[in-house]
Amino acid sequence: MALPLPTGLVPTEVAFLCEMEMVTIVPRQRLESITLLSGKTPALRPPHRAELPLWLALLLKKQRRANIVPPPWLLPASLQDLVNQETNIDPEAFSPPPPPPMRSDGYGAAHSYTQHSTNPADVVLAPPFLPSCTQGAPSGYLPYHWLEMAETLLAHAADDIPGAADARALLRDLQEVRAAKMRGSTRHLEGGGGVLNLRGVGAMELAESRGFVLGIVDGVRKLGASVEASRREEEEEEREGGGGGGDSDDEMEF
Amino acid sequence: MSYYDVDAILTDSEKVPCKFELEIAQLGYLDNDPAQPLKTGTTVGLPLWLAELLALANRAPSSSDEDAKSFVSLNLPPALSNEVMSALKADPRAVPLRDQSHNFYGLGTRMLDLFEEAEICAILRKTFVTRAADIALHARKAGGAEDLGAIAGEDFVRGMEEWERLLFKNAHDGVKGTKAWMEGVKKH
Repeated sequence: MALPLPTGLVPTEVAFLCEMEMVTIVPRQRLESITLLSGKTPALRPPHRAELPLWLALLLKKQRRANIVPPPWLLPASLQDLVNQETNIDPEAFSPPPPPPMRSDGYGAAHSYTQHSTNPADVVLAPPFLPSCTQGAPSGYLPYHWLEMAETLLAHAADDIPGAADARALLRDLQEVRAAKMRGSTRHLEGGGGVLNLRGVGAMELAESRGFVLGIVDGVRKLGASVEASRREEEEEEREGGGGGGDSDDEMEF
Repeated sequence: MSYYDVDAILTDSEKVPCKFELEIAQLGYLDNDPAQPLKTGTTVGLPLWLAELLALANRAPSSSDEDAKSFVSLNLPPALSNEVMSALKADPRAVPLRDQSHNFYGLGTRMLDLFEEAEICAILRKTFVTRAADIALHARKAGGAEDLGAIAGEDFVRGMEEWERLLFKNAHDGVKGTKAWMEGVKKH
């Protein structure tokens, strides 16, 4: 019998992975560098800012040893822009994911990180290696772990976030708007295309809607199975008629 | 599809109208008339698994003649009749599919395997996708504190058939998990 676990990551697992994301903190006490499995943490010297993984930042925050600097996209103005983008500017698609990080070269031009590295394969531009929740993250774009990061920061570091109450309300709006889009996006499956565009959808939203989206894709596939089979047969016949009778072994071709 | 899939077994036992192509002695009780043999042309509802076998089997297996008749000829079940299809075409949300059949889509796919009905296939697909959006909405709102008592779509939820119930459960599980995490995040 099948394992009774759901396929894919569940919300708690997504939230656990989110704790690997780097955030910017302002330390209030000196702390020497700690050697962790993921590498050494920077030595903390107040008032210099440093980047730490979220779990360590939360630990220091709870011990009142540091303050967390919220990522720019979590500020109410940025969230307001995002809600506007989702509802008015583009009521169909999700808001786009953040652009790949760029670095200025001092001559007024910007280059992507990969050009500076000697080996482009060294730089992995995917969560959690993308600095998407630090101080330098672009404002107005939702990163992959936006919902869980925002919820965690609002729960534990609300006093560090300017306009936390507004941000919380705007997050609720954003979440509802995007959930409605996720529900509506399935109607593109009606024609039998079988492709859903999930660009810009966050990890928590994926975990939330995975069961629904998989269920509906599976249902559409089952309903269309007989028509699909007859279409395959027709194509097969056409090809055999045109190509002078091909081998029956190449049925796997599309 | 699993061997132990209860829905598949129940779908197999859905009644399908079959017209008998020959007279059979001592089967009259199927037509509520035990004294008489079952007449040619009588329409009897048979479970899908039996009907499928009888309709596809050849009455004279020795002859390879294409026109050899089978025992019964199948018809579309009332759940997939023209009236239901036109109602679904008009507004998929307004039809309680559970009243038509508990395994409406399961029955539909089985019948589409037997009949080449591109139109029914298209209608079923449109119905499924259109209703799925509503199902997700109800799955998201269900269990919320604000709409206990008067749920606006109570009729709709009652009219969902088995595939849709499974979809509802999956969608609701995801929402429930997220909600549970969001409430728990403040505690530790």
